[in-house]
Amino acid sequence: MSNMRVKFVRRRLRAWSRRQLYSFFSSLGTLLGHRLATTMTVLVLGIAMVLPLGLYLAVNNLRGLDLQQDEWGAITVFLHNDIDEKGAAELARMIDDRPDASAETVSPQQGMDEFRLASGFGQVLDLFDENPLPWVVLVTPQVRDAEQLGMVVGNLDAWLQTRDAVDIVQVDHKWLQRLAGLLELGEAFVTVLSVMFSLAVFVVVANTIRLDVANRCEEIEVLSVVGASENFIRQPFLYTGFWYGLLGALFALVLLSISVLYLQQPTEDLLDAYGNSFEIQGLNTFHVALVLLAGGALGFLGALVSVQRYLRQLRVSGRLGRI
Amino acid sequence: MITFAHVSKRYVGGASALLDVNFHIDAGEMVFLTGHSGAGKSTLLRLILMLEQASGGQVVVNGRNLSKTSARLTPQVRRQIGMIFQDHKLLRDKTVFDNVSLPLMIAGMRYSEIRKRVRAVLDKVGLRNKEKAWPLMLSGGEQQRVGIARAIVGMPPILLADEPTGNLDPQLSKELFNLFRQLNAQGVTVMIASHDLTLIRSMSQRVLVLSAGRLIDDIPAVISGGWEK
Repeated sequence: MSNMRVKFVRRRLRAWSRRQLYSFFSSLGTLLGHRLATTMTVLVLGIAMVLPLGLYLAVNNLRGLDLQQDEWGAITVFLHNDIDEKGAAELARMIDDRPDASAETVSPQQGMDEFRLASGFGQVLDLFDENPLPWVVLVTPQVRDAEQLGMVVGNLDAWLQTRDAVDIVQVDHKWLQRLAGLLELGEAFVTVLSVMFSLAVFVVVANTIRLDVANRCEEIEVLSVVGASENFIRQPFLYTGFWYGLLGALFALVLLSISVLYLQQPTEDLLDAYGNSFEIQGLNTFHVALVLLAGGALGFLGALVSVQRYLRQLRVSGRLGRI
Repeated sequence: MITFAHVSKRYVGGASALLDVNFHIDAGEMVFLTGHSGAGKSTLLRLILMLEQASGGQVVVNGRNLSKTSARLTPQVRRQIGMIFQDHKLLRDKTVFDNVSLPLMIAGMRYSEIRKRVRAVLDKVGLRNKEKAWPLMLSGGEQQRVGIARAIVGMPPILLADEPTGNLDPQLSKELFNLFRQLNAQGVTVMIASHDLTLIRSMSQRVLVLSAGRLIDDIPAVISGGWEK
């Protein structure tokens, strides 16, 4: 008896997998049967998906860029004129002891020499009887990313202000904060675009499938009459939606790769001019898999919603009877 | 095999298609259903196929009371029934082979088995060499036979036909009815809706007569029938 049960279940399972296979090939057949329409749909989907992906890549690369910069976050601390080398070194040591910063001292003489070289006003400086420059401590925050930088610099600034030896604290990270803000804005844009274009992908697939279902109304009717379950009728459309999404995502990734290749050289040239070496980071394997999966899932969902709606309409109109 | 008990069907808007219809068809019977167009023949067949629901009364098909059958089981009921339509309802973008194999695909049968059965049934309806043809390349009679092949390929115990000879010349109609006779002789319960009275008379089978939604006559089969003459 139980043996018969096992056999029965096994037969049902085999029948089920054969039906799946049938739906699978049936959906592929539909796509290949309408090659032009399929290509157009996939192009539209690909372009819709490449926009948020491209922006994501841009933001991600900019973020990678600012991480490499340590000298950009420097704080220049001018000490009072009456502070000598000992006082400066003491302050530098205290800063070095902090976990979030390192420091080096610049003597008035060094400062003078640098200024002489950099400004070209060397002769003017000779007019001074004595060196007017104070001891200076250069502070470099030790941080990982731009957001943290803002906080650390704020802390250091506040702490330095309270030191008696300190005259002026000059913080030179405003533009970094702006960059961080811009990156944040960029990320928000990525989110907004992702949502919007996901919706676009969903709607495009849903509409394509709706037309597909409408075109195959007769087929659905016939399938239904010869005893197809609603699941069997629905299946090929869901596969089709999945294919649309997957192919769209694939096309978007190809577009993205081409864009990266195209932008690589100009970007390198630009950054070379800033004395920086840089290579555009593409998407990693995980991201590629994620994009493909998301594309397929969106297509599947679009198809599902569309097919459900249409089958309900057919049922209400009485063309399928009760299924 | 098929029982109608006080079945009525009203469409939304008030038009009555069937009124208090009662009959019983035994397994292995062959029955004609006749009446003027609009008498309710198609509605009656659609009730059996669960394409419509009765407004009142009970329809029992193969032991299953359809008004108490959940929508989920509709496909199972339909798999017991081979349906032949006047307009064939073939899928134009599928070959004859693919059209005929649909019920077997739905049943999830192995492909080698499907091929065997489809070929056998095409052989039976005389379309062996039209396997790869497209429906639109076929004549009306051939298309009708493809429809029949699709209806019987799954070996359902019940065969329904709605005006199967509608567009066929008398010779083809005769051949078709003989095919139904053959199937019936193999034990299939056959129900044919037709208004071709001459042909029906020549078959000497049981005839149900519908008029304006009422069953007005139930003529039993004549044993010494004349269809072979």
